[in-house]
Amino acid sequence: MNVTNFKVTSRHVEDVVILYPQGYLNNIAGENLVKECDSFLESGIRKVVLNFSETGFINTIGISMLLGIIEKLKEAGGTLCFTNLSKAYIDTFEMLGLARYMHIFPEENEAVRFLSDIKQA
Amino acid sequence: MNTELKRALYNISSLANLGHEVASSDNFTVKVQSLLYVIMGTFLSGKGAIFLYERSTGLIVPVAHKGIDDTGYLELAVSPETLLLMKKNEPCGDTAELPLPFRNMLSRTGTAIFVPLWVRDEFIGAIILGRKFSSEPYSTDDHELLRIIAIQIAVTLNNNALFTRLSEQLEKNRRLYEEMRRIYHDTIQAFAAAIDAKDGYTKRHSQRVAKYSVAIARELGWNESDTEGIYIAGFLHDVGKIIINGELLNKKGPLTEKEMFELRNHSLLSYNIISKIKFPWKDVVGMIRHHHERFDGMGYPDAVTGDNLSEGARILALADSFDAMTSNRPYRNGMDLKGALEELRKCRDVQFDGKVVAALCRVLEKEISGELPAPDILPHLDRNFDPSLITELIEALTEELSS
Repeated sequence: MNVTNFKVTSRHVEDVVILYPQGYLNNIAGENLVKECDSFLESGIRKVVLNFSETGFINTIGISMLLGIIEKLKEAGGTLCFTNLSKAYIDTFEMLGLARYMHIFPEENEAVRFLSDIKQA
Repeated sequence: MNTELKRALYNISSLANLGHEVASSDNFTVKVQSLLYVIMGTFLSGKGAIFLYERSTGLIVPVAHKGIDDTGYLELAVSPETLLLMKKNEPCGDTAELPLPFRNMLSRTGTAIFVPLWVRDEFIGAIILGRKFSSEPYSTDDHELLRIIAIQIAVTLNNNALFTRLSEQLEKNRRLYEEMRRIYHDTIQAFAAAIDAKDGYTKRHSQRVAKYSVAIARELGWNESDTEGIYIAGFLHDVGKIIINGELLNKKGPLTEKEMFELRNHSLLSYNIISKIKFPWKDVVGMIRHHHERFDGMGYPDAVTGDNLSEGARILALADSFDAMTSNRPYRNGMDLKGALEELRKCRDVQFDGKVVAALCRVLEKEISGELPAPDILPHLDRNFDPSLITELIEALTEELSS
């Protein structure tokens, strides 16, 4: 398993932040994604998109980290969208019962459009 | 594929992830944190902790935790006997079966499951896990899967505890060895001081011979263990003088043939004394026996020629003579460095091995130029010399010896 080359980049589209996890989400390096999300939440951002187009592999550790992000967004009253997920991961999230807490879109621009229409409290 | 089959595959992949993390070469903290993530990801719980039982304090202390806001409740005094009522490595919810302190821990940390970790009859630690994200209760299948995971984690924690204990014991032994080694060196140095004190002419001679020998041996690329051996040989090479009459050792006038024989016998006496000791270093006794042998076979006690002498004996012989040449005696002043080098030039490949003389020259050159920050030889010599003249002489001699 790849244990090192995981990084996160981000960009803003108005009040939406889009995060790009790059590499394998299968080890403790994935905490960077959680930390990145935490820092945006602390700065008041409540609309987050996770674009998985550059994420190679997600295992149980990765799922645990995504769960942490979902919980924090839920607690903060924010909205989280997932995009560019392969069918296998969508199936896994559905099987685990996580999909009902996610907004899943095929493409990033659809998620941004969806979030832009939400009035932030 | 139906949901049950998908869930079974997910659980199998979780166990595979667990196995990978258990076998990983990550440090213990990262490994345990990763294991906690695997458990939380498997059961979709946002809270959890893994504890290690410290036998010395009787506490369970968290080695990894996630999602628990108040960590003050995570450290708990445990009597393993109270846990014997529970099944080993069996998950237990907040029920009457769970001892009260752990029920309190679950309620205070907002977690739902406690698993005591055991390896055979030894309590190792515990796992606590929060409610599932879906709010569904933990099923019988979940309990069974968590039990299998707990067994793996118990073994991992136990291996780490064993490794830690072993490392601590190793460190204790290493300190003990260092202490014994220091006492051993101090004893040998005290012994050498006693030898030198008997011979009024040779104050600190043994110490200097030890230092010079080490400097030459290092220059010739000796390893640390062998270098330590020649250091000890340097200190003890004249131990036989203890048996020789003090008046003879300190006699100023010319020696009779009988006296000369008796004096020369000291290297054999040194050998006889030292050969009773089993040294951990190679050839200490051989070096001591042969420290008055010559490269041309005209030395004593065995008249061994250069090729049959160990390199250690050749080094010790040169270090011993070099110190004798450059030290003051009541009946003569010690040679200056220039004079000593000229003497070595004359005696190379006759009395001394040219290769060893060249090594001594290189050490001196490095000490004069400041290349060696802690010089071993120069501080003991008469400093009244022109460094540039000496350097030229050493360079010429080194070149001559290398050709």
